Amino acid sequence: MHADLEAVLRRNLAQVLDPGVAPGDLDPDRDMVDEYGLTSINKVLFLTSACTDTGISLSNFTEHDLARMRTLRDVTDVLARHAGAEVSPAGGEVHRAGPEAVR
Amino acid sequence: MTESIINHVAGTPPAPGHRISFVRLDGTETLDLPDLYARAGRLALELRRRYGIGPGDRIGILGANALEWVLLDLAALRLKVVTAGFEPGKFQADGALLARYDLTLLCTDQDCPPTQGVLSFREIRRLADLAEPDPGEPLPPVAYAPGDATTLKFTSGSTGPPKGLAATVGSIDSSLRAVQEMFAHGPGDDLFVFLPLSLLQQRYWIYSALRYGHDVTVSTYEAAFAALAAARPTVVMGVPAFYETAKKHIEARVRSNGNGANGTGANGYGANGAADGHAAEARRLFGDRIRYLWTGSAPAGATMLRFFTAAGLPIYEGYGLNETCIVSKNHPGAHREGSVGRVLPGKEVLLDENGVVSVRSDYPVNVRYEYAAPGESERVFGPGGIVRTGDVGHIDEDGFLYIRGRADDVIVLDNGKKVIVRPIEEHMKTSPAIEECVVFCPAQTHLVAVVSPPREPADEPAIAAQLARTNAAFGRDEQIKKIVVAEPRLSIENGLLTSQYKPRRQRIFELYRPEIQDNRRGIHAR
Repeated sequence: MHADLEAVLRRNLAQVLDPGVAPGDLDPDRDMVDEYGLTSINKVLFLTSACTDTGISLSNFTEHDLARMRTLRDVTDVLARHAGAEVSPAGGEVHRAGPEAVR
Repeated sequence: MTESIINHVAGTPPAPGHRISFVRLDGTETLDLPDLYARAGRLALELRRRYGIGPGDRIGILGANALEWVLLDLAALRLKVVTAGFEPGKFQADGALLARYDLTLLCTDQDCPPTQGVLSFREIRRLADLAEPDPGEPLPPVAYAPGDATTLKFTSGSTGPPKGLAATVGSIDSSLRAVQEMFAHGPGDDLFVFLPLSLLQQRYWIYSALRYGHDVTVSTYEAAFAALAAARPTVVMGVPAFYETAKKHIEARVRSNGNGANGTGANGYGANGAADGHAAEARRLFGDRIRYLWTGSAPAGATMLRFFTAAGLPIYEGYGLNETCIVSKNHPGAHREGSVGRVLPGKEVLLDENGVVSVRSDYPVNVRYEYAAPGESERVFGPGGIVRTGDVGHIDEDGFLYIRGRADDVIVLDNGKKVIVRPIEEHMKTSPAIEECVVFCPAQTHLVAVVSPPREPADEPAIAAQLARTNAAFGRDEQIKKIVVAEPRLSIENGLLTSQYKPRRQRIFELYRPEIQDNRRGIHAR
């Protein structure tokens, strides 16, 4: 299961990298932005496509969760925790979170 | 006299029938526009009652795209308070920011220590949701004159912190009116916004919804691609890097489904193979209701523009600067490939003998910067607010404007942030180990410099030390991540310098492209 997930993630990450890297050559511990040159919008697209292909809803995550995913291994580990969970479409629920009033 | 759109937005409850949606990765919130207007009014009353906010004050807003952002912006319009929109990631919510930009209040979604004058978005939400608002005086009608400013924009300076540019009501009105004439946004439309609301133009589409009656969807940057297909917008407000990414994704999807350039209709794409595939995958990504795609802020590649138009999603490029607002725009009624459209009513493009573009506006955005180094305003703004753009272009016989290049070299990152590279290059050249420096942005997310030493072999430790000094002197978006040492050195003989000893940027980029793009090579910033 985990290996299947990693294969999908490798394929999706390789697809957005420029210059291209073969899926099998990706080092799961290298920083996707600093070392593979992944742009912010490509990171968004990579994660969106990966979630679509694995059936894991992006609504499981927050914007902060995405920011914390820096390596392919980070992404694999986080998505693996949600693999097989019930899928709900993005935008299906209302959830609010934010810092307390600080005045 | 034509009615002011800003005065209408501030003073007239919108008609029912249209809504605004806010999309985050973990959920969507939708309000009818009359509800949005009512909540903004309640927030305005509470800001006045609790914090004494009123005309002449300035409120800073630092947060990701959210309902609270829009409520604050609209409440400020109702109070005749100036907003200052700070881009997340570029500013820190603290007392120093309050002081630096003379803010009465700073509202943020960032976690920060309790600070006098700083309000959380959660508190903003609570105030807007109060069932029994201020029992005192109702909000008085507001009336803006064309020269009044509603907001302070920030634009990259050559050095130091970003400089401010107060945007006048006249400039906002004239831009919105021109856009409406060209695109006729109306009841069937849903405009999709995902770039930061700190960019004034992204708030235009909310004002447009309130004035002209249509839907609008506001997404966080991170949720943009996930939200598009579900939201099914009719218009997407993007920048070239966003569309380039989308194009690459669409092409990859078609390839992975077995329809290459010579595809023959396998996999259900239709008889035209890859072309049908591109159209199908574009609809899958953007939704099936797209009327057109908007692009601006940076030059768009002709291949990308043609790709989307061929895929059934017409895309229209325009031209404008922070200092000019929208100058020209292609649109369904008048578009020409390679151009950035005809010049808008109320704008005039002036070309000098070298083709350098200046822009005169009936209603200038402003005539000077705020919080800028001495001489910065004079460098850009001429008499009467004429803006010297530094771009080079021409106008054809039918009035279409073409921009051929940048007299100043400006890099626009994929999130719309602009970086002026010349001061960074000049700083690098203060080292005796560096004779020439040319900065590129190969992936639109970070800077890479090609450095030419005065002699060979290069003194790499000295170059690395200068890299550290330069990075320390510049802002977060202006950091050089990597240096490629030019071997051989740039010279007139090898064609990499002009006869005037100026670097030939494109040739240098082409020659060193492998080294520039390979993150494993070169001298890296520590």
